[in-house]
Amino acid sequence: MSDSWAVDVQNVSKSFGAVKALDGVTVRVKRGEIYGLLGPNGAGKTTLIRMLVGLLEAHAGTVTVLEQRMPNVGVLRHVGYMTQQAALYPGLSAEENVRFFGAINGAEEGVKDALELVKLYDRRDSVVSTLSGGMRQRCSLACALVHKPQLLLLDEPTVGVDPQLRVELWEDFRKMAATGTTIIVSSHVMDEAERCQRLGLIQYGKLLAEGSPDEIRATAGAQNLEEAFLRLAGSRS
Amino acid sequence: MSGHRVAAITRRLLQQFRRDRRTLALLFVAPIVILGLLGYLIRGSASAPAVGIANEDQGPLGATIAAALARSSEISTTSIQASDGGAKLKDGSLAAYIVFPADFSSQAQGGTIAPEVHLEGSQPGTTAPVLQALQRALVSVASQAPGQGLHVQPQVTYLYGGPGFDTLDYFGAAFIGLVVFFLVFVVTIVSFLNERSQGTLERLMASPLRRGEIVLGYGLGFTVLALIQSVEVLIFSLAVLKVHNAGNVALIFGIEALMAIAAVNLGIFLSMFARTEFQAVQFIPLVIVPQFLLSGILFSVSSEPKPLQLLSDVLPLTYAVNGLRDVMVKGADLTWGSLQLDVGVVLGFVVLLVLAAVLTLRRRIA
Repeated sequence: MSDSWAVDVQNVSKSFGAVKALDGVTVRVKRGEIYGLLGPNGAGKTTLIRMLVGLLEAHAGTVTVLEQRMPNVGVLRHVGYMTQQAALYPGLSAEENVRFFGAINGAEEGVKDALELVKLYDRRDSVVSTLSGGMRQRCSLACALVHKPQLLLLDEPTVGVDPQLRVELWEDFRKMAATGTTIIVSSHVMDEAERCQRLGLIQYGKLLAEGSPDEIRATAGAQNLEEAFLRLAGSRS
Repeated sequence: MSGHRVAAITRRLLQQFRRDRRTLALLFVAPIVILGLLGYLIRGSASAPAVGIANEDQGPLGATIAAALARSSEISTTSIQASDGGAKLKDGSLAAYIVFPADFSSQAQGGTIAPEVHLEGSQPGTTAPVLQALQRALVSVASQAPGQGLHVQPQVTYLYGGPGFDTLDYFGAAFIGLVVFFLVFVVTIVSFLNERSQGTLERLMASPLRRGEIVLGYGLGFTVLALIQSVEVLIFSLAVLKVHNAGNVALIFGIEALMAIAAVNLGIFLSMFARTEFQAVQFIPLVIVPQFLLSGILFSVSSEPKPLQLLSDVLPLTYAVNGLRDVMVKGADLTWGSLQLDVGVVLGFVVLLVLAAVLTLRRRIA
C-alpha cells in the first residue's frame, strides 16, 4: 500500500566528496502525519530534506514523494519548503513575498489565508527588511504554505525563534496537519520533538531509531528524549 | 586615538586579503592587464589613415602635390582611379580619396585651385589628419610656386556625417549601447547574487519553476528596465546632446535590446563564479574594461595591432558597437550585409549566453 505514504525514502545514500551525508537511510511518512527528523548539526537532516524537493539527487536508493520518484518538477507544486534561513525578498512587502511564492507554485489565491494563519495579515504591507526576525520566520512559513501543499518540509523552522513564537508556530503546524497536510520538520531541539507524532533519529547519516516519542523513550529505557537520544547515539559508536 | 586599535584594524584587513586570493590577483594583475592592453593599443596601432589619390591633372601640379602627400607621415597614400573611390570608401579600405581634376594645373593659372576631397566621414579621428596633410602639401607646393598667392578651395564631400560631425557623434553612437550593456550587467549580477545569498534561489529551485523560466523571467524583467533606460539615453543623446543620427531609431532600439538581453544572461552566468557582491564587482575590470577597450569604441578595430584584432573579432561588444555606428552614423538598415553580420553575431552571442545561464543554474544545484 505505497499510496498511503506521503514520503517513501528507501535505502538512500549520498556523499559529498569523502563525507557520507546519508548512508542507507529508509524513512516512510504517512499522509497527515507530523514527522520529526531529529539529530545534531551535520547529521544529514538538511541533505534528506533537500532530496525530498529534488535539489539533490541520491547516489543510491530511491526517493518517492506523493507517489512520484524524485527528482520530479511536477510534484513540487504540492510541496512546501521552508529553508533554515528566512529566504525572502527584503525589498518586497510581506504580502508581495507571499503572493510571489504562491504564483510560482501555481496558486493565485490563498495569500490572505496564509498571512492570517501566521498572524501577519495586519503587517502585510510592511517591507520585509523592516520586520523582526520572528516575523520574517513567520512570513517565510506563509510563503511555504500559501499554495496549500500536501507535504510541508520545514528545515529547522524555529531556530533563533523565541519560546512564545515557537509555541505559536507549532499551533500553526498542528492546524495544517489537522487539515490533512503531511509535515516533516527537522530539529535539534528536544522539546520540539515531543510535539511530533513520530520521530526519526539521525546521526552521521544513519537512521538510529524511529517511532513515537514514547516508543523511543521506551526503547532506550530513558526518562526523556534527550537522554534517549544520547543513549541510542552512544550505543552505535 | 590608540595606535593599537588602528593597527588591529589594519592587520585584520591585510589578513582578510591574504585569504582572498582573487581580490589580491585583481589588485595586482588587473592594472597590468589593463595598462598593457592600453599601451599595446596606442603604441602598436599601425596605420595612418589610408588615402587614395586620383591624379587626372594634365599639367604638372597634381603630380607635385601627390608626391608631397606621399611623403606625409600622417596618411598613407595609394594611387587609384577616381571612379573606384566611392566603392573603396564604402567598403572601408580607404578613409578618404583626393581627386586632382584634369584642369587642375590650368586652375592654378587662374589663381584658385579646387582639389576634390572625398571623406568617409564616420571617424573624426581620421578626417582631421587627411585635411591637415592636404593643407601642408598645398602650402609647401604654393611656397615654391612663383608669383602671386594661390587660393585653395578644396571641394570637400562627406560620405557619412558632415563637416559638423564631431567626436561626440562618433562616440555617442557606441556609448548609447555601452551604457545600457554595462549598467544592466552590473544590476543583474548583483541581484542574481542576492538571490543566491538570501536563499530565495533555493526556494525557486524547490518550486515547479523550470530553469529556463527563471532565466526568461529575469531577462524580461531587466529588458523592461533596460528599454526604459534606452529610451531615456536615446532621447537625451538625440534631443539634448544632438548626437548625429542618420538611421532608424527603432533599429537602434532593437540592437540595444539585444545588448541588454546579452548583459542579463552574462550577469546570471558570471554570478555563478562569485560568492559575494564584492567579488561580483571585480568582474567589471576583468570582463567589461578589456571588452570596452577592444570593442572599437576608442580605437577603431582596423587600426589595432593584428593579434588584438583577432581578440576583438570574438567579443560581442565589438559587433554591437559596429552595428550601432553603422545605423546612426551611416544610416544603415537591415538590407546592409555588414549590419546583418553585426546583428547576427550579437544574436548568436545572446543565444550562447542564454544557454550558458540556464546550464549554470543546473550545475549550481546538481
